[in-house]
Amino acid sequence: MSATSLYVDRASPIHRLDPRSTLALVTALFVAGYTFDDPRYAAVPLAVAFLALVAVGGWRNFRRLSPIVAALFLVGLVVWPAFTQPGGRILLDLGPITLSEREVLFALGRSERIAVFVVGGLLFVTTTSNEELVRGMRQLGVPYAFCFAVGTALRLFPTFLEAATTVKQAQEARGLDLTEGGVIARLRRSVPLLVPVFMTAFRNVNTQSMALEARGFDTRSDRSFYGARPLAARDWVVVVVAAIVVVAVIGLRLAGFGTL
Amino acid sequence: MTDRDEGVATRLRDVVFSYDREASLPDPNATDSDASASTGRDAVLRGVDLDVPMGSFTVIMGASGGGKSTLLRTLNGLIPDFVTGSFAGEVEVLGRDATATRVSELATDVGMVLQDYESQLFGTSVTAEVAFGPENLAVPPAEIDDRIDDALALAGLSDLDRRREPAALSGGQKQRLVFAGVAAMRPDLLVLDEPTSDLDPSGTRRLLSAVGRLAGGRLDRLDAVDRPETVAPNTAAPDDGVCTADDEVAWTGPETVVMVTHKIEEALLADHAILLEDGRVSRAGPAREVFTDTAALRASRVAIPPLVAAFDEAGVPTADLPLTPAEAVDVAAAHGLSWTPPARLDDDRSATEASATSVPAGTGETLGEPCFELENVVFAYETDRGPKRAVDEVSLTIRTGEVVALVGHNGSGKTTLAKHLNGLHAPDAGQVRYDGREVTDYSMSAIGRDVGYVFQNPDHQLFADTVREEVEFGPQNFGISGEALDQRVSQALETVELTDLADADPFALSRGQRQRVALAGILATDPAVIVFDEPTTGLDATQRDQFMRLVAELNRTTGLTVVAITHSMETVARYAPRTVVLEDGQVAYDGSTRRLFADRDRLDAHALQPPHVVEASNRLAAARDLPDALPALSVAELAAGLGGGDV
Repeated sequence: MSATSLYVDRASPIHRLDPRSTLALVTALFVAGYTFDDPRYAAVPLAVAFLALVAVGGWRNFRRLSPIVAALFLVGLVVWPAFTQPGGRILLDLGPITLSEREVLFALGRSERIAVFVVGGLLFVTTTSNEELVRGMRQLGVPYAFCFAVGTALRLFPTFLEAATTVKQAQEARGLDLTEGGVIARLRRSVPLLVPVFMTAFRNVNTQSMALEARGFDTRSDRSFYGARPLAARDWVVVVVAAIVVVAVIGLRLAGFGTL
Repeated sequence: MTDRDEGVATRLRDVVFSYDREASLPDPNATDSDASASTGRDAVLRGVDLDVPMGSFTVIMGASGGGKSTLLRTLNGLIPDFVTGSFAGEVEVLGRDATATRVSELATDVGMVLQDYESQLFGTSVTAEVAFGPENLAVPPAEIDDRIDDALALAGLSDLDRRREPAALSGGQKQRLVFAGVAAMRPDLLVLDEPTSDLDPSGTRRLLSAVGRLAGGRLDRLDAVDRPETVAPNTAAPDDGVCTADDEVAWTGPETVVMVTHKIEEALLADHAILLEDGRVSRAGPAREVFTDTAALRASRVAIPPLVAAFDEAGVPTADLPLTPAEAVDVAAAHGLSWTPPARLDDDRSATEASATSVPAGTGETLGEPCFELENVVFAYETDRGPKRAVDEVSLTIRTGEVVALVGHNGSGKTTLAKHLNGLHAPDAGQVRYDGREVTDYSMSAIGRDVGYVFQNPDHQLFADTVREEVEFGPQNFGISGEALDQRVSQALETVELTDLADADPFALSRGQRQRVALAGILATDPAVIVFDEPTTGLDATQRDQFMRLVAELNRTTGLTVVAITHSMETVARYAPRTVVLEDGQVAYDGSTRRLFADRDRLDAHALQPPHVVEASNRLAAARDLPDALPALSVAELAAGLGGGDV
């Protein structure tokens, strides 16, 4: 809801799923994205993940990460050809550097593969609140201490960003000029920014751990989960569909589809 | 103090604590004269003996940095179980040995709200936040539903959208949410460390009435204290999610409440009081006795309750001193005191000037050139539900040499508006001019040199190794060096009473001390205007008074223009002749503070709680049928009107 958090509070069908089912769904997307080398095949899970993300209100999140995704494809075009053999038509000829059709397809496939992870991951965090994530992991048998650590790390990030904004304003108000001077001068001037951000974070962590204890947080004893419920019919449908997708994808691959 | 009766919720004996793990602890039984010579000078608690009566609402007060927060941490085992340091002594809480019990175990019985509410929020929604504590106690989910309803009602947050993210709430809402999260655990002993520091007056009142209601039905007493005749049913702004007073709450505990506060008028709601001084209990007993013991209060640097001070000055014997405005009227009658209001409706200005020896010069009309001119200023934040106007068509003129208080609910847009004054925010529409030029035309450092801005949280700006370097930072940025710099820095440090700590590490100081470092950092830049965002949070009574006196002094002698965002109505009354009330980003009142405080209906409409001096003089005037009387704004004025003291 805030400008810094990734979770988008909507009532979409995916939001309503049990976190375990959402995890199954995203896992199926990951498997499908990972299995195929051919970008024409890998594009399918990527498109599904992307459309789902937009449908659940995650366009804002995608836009935020879109420079990274774009860089992924551009850099991939340079890096990935090194990991395969040339083949097919030569699409680009710059003297010593050539790009063959096979190399481009391979690079695209690999980049799509990573993009599926990024977009699928976004889909998950857009539709799953921290509490659901922790609860889902716990219900899958992950130790609570670990679940809680993951949840906290995800939650602290936005807090950190907010503190950074305030610190910047506070120091600017005291005459800190961040725009002028060379690299060294700028580096030196970053001290008044970084120290308060880290010290605030440190202090927060200290108070936070005290507050946690004071609220009865204890990884050694039992706790309940508010909002926990058994998997509903729709959750099971999603789990079954996800399983079918995984089996089908692996079957297709073993039958020779989607290779280069 | 040695009898062991059943009626004690918490008993501390010879408790000594230092945050230094290798500290040699002072002897808890040493007398004062030995103590200064003995080892362990850095110990925060130096031999605390105290009893908190079962079923009491106990308030702990003392100087900033005096060990109050540290003391509270012994009550749920954080000290010595969790915080590293050296500890000795006995702590018994609800019949258990707290020094040998894990914090999370004690958490079933002891609920604790720590001072820094920002870092006590764990959930990503209001619901998840309140559910967190009960979940940890393994409360069945079905029961958590009820607890969430109850706890939010208690905290006055019933109307809050429960899907909202805690991080996106206003400061006051966050603070109340933390309270709700602890209340949902239904502790028998509730420990609160400055739970209302960032609450608006109506929020404070609601939270305290919740506390009072919990600690054995003291709600009636609270209402008696505040306003017996005119209880407005729901005077709070709807956007702040405040509930009506008659929310049904099933839970009847906790039996006992322990609260640390710097706000004297809220401390008077307690029935038992403990004063701390130099890491020891200097005075403890029934609230009435402690709060009329002016010598003990002064020694512990605790504010003397304003009515106690005024009636003391007017010559009323200690045993009869009033604590509340209602009592004040009776005491005045019983002792045959007259009431001469400091001003009447038709001569407000002369009255302001009459007391000009102690308060700033006056409202706009008598002052100099326009300093800030705001015209139809609009500023909107982007949210998931579209842009929300935090500042909505605000027009204001602030003249050179004015002291203006900016008040309003949590989330009413005060901070957002104030940040326009030094260019931290640029208006989406409208104009903000400083000295005739648009603020956005100035460079950040040009405007920063003239307009000092003191942020709410000092930790957002402290970075240097020593206090001195920290204070030097601002002036150095503005090109001041050499002797001029040294002089300014020394003066600023002296002003905030930190000369002794000039070489200390700012991070090792207490919150109140860090706040003063931040203030010194701005004072040293010698600005023409200072904008304060809650200048006195975390300061004790003496420091706050000293600080505000200094600001008033600078205003009178150098014409410093002051804009202060504050929830402290005492500060407003005492130091700001002009008040601007913001509501939903719009100006709801702009004018004389004294007239505002004379107008009961207006105060109710804006959910402002007048300070005791004001309330008492309004009541005195009503009792004598003086409809055109304006209230006293300070203890001195009240005492003078009663025929005692001299202004």
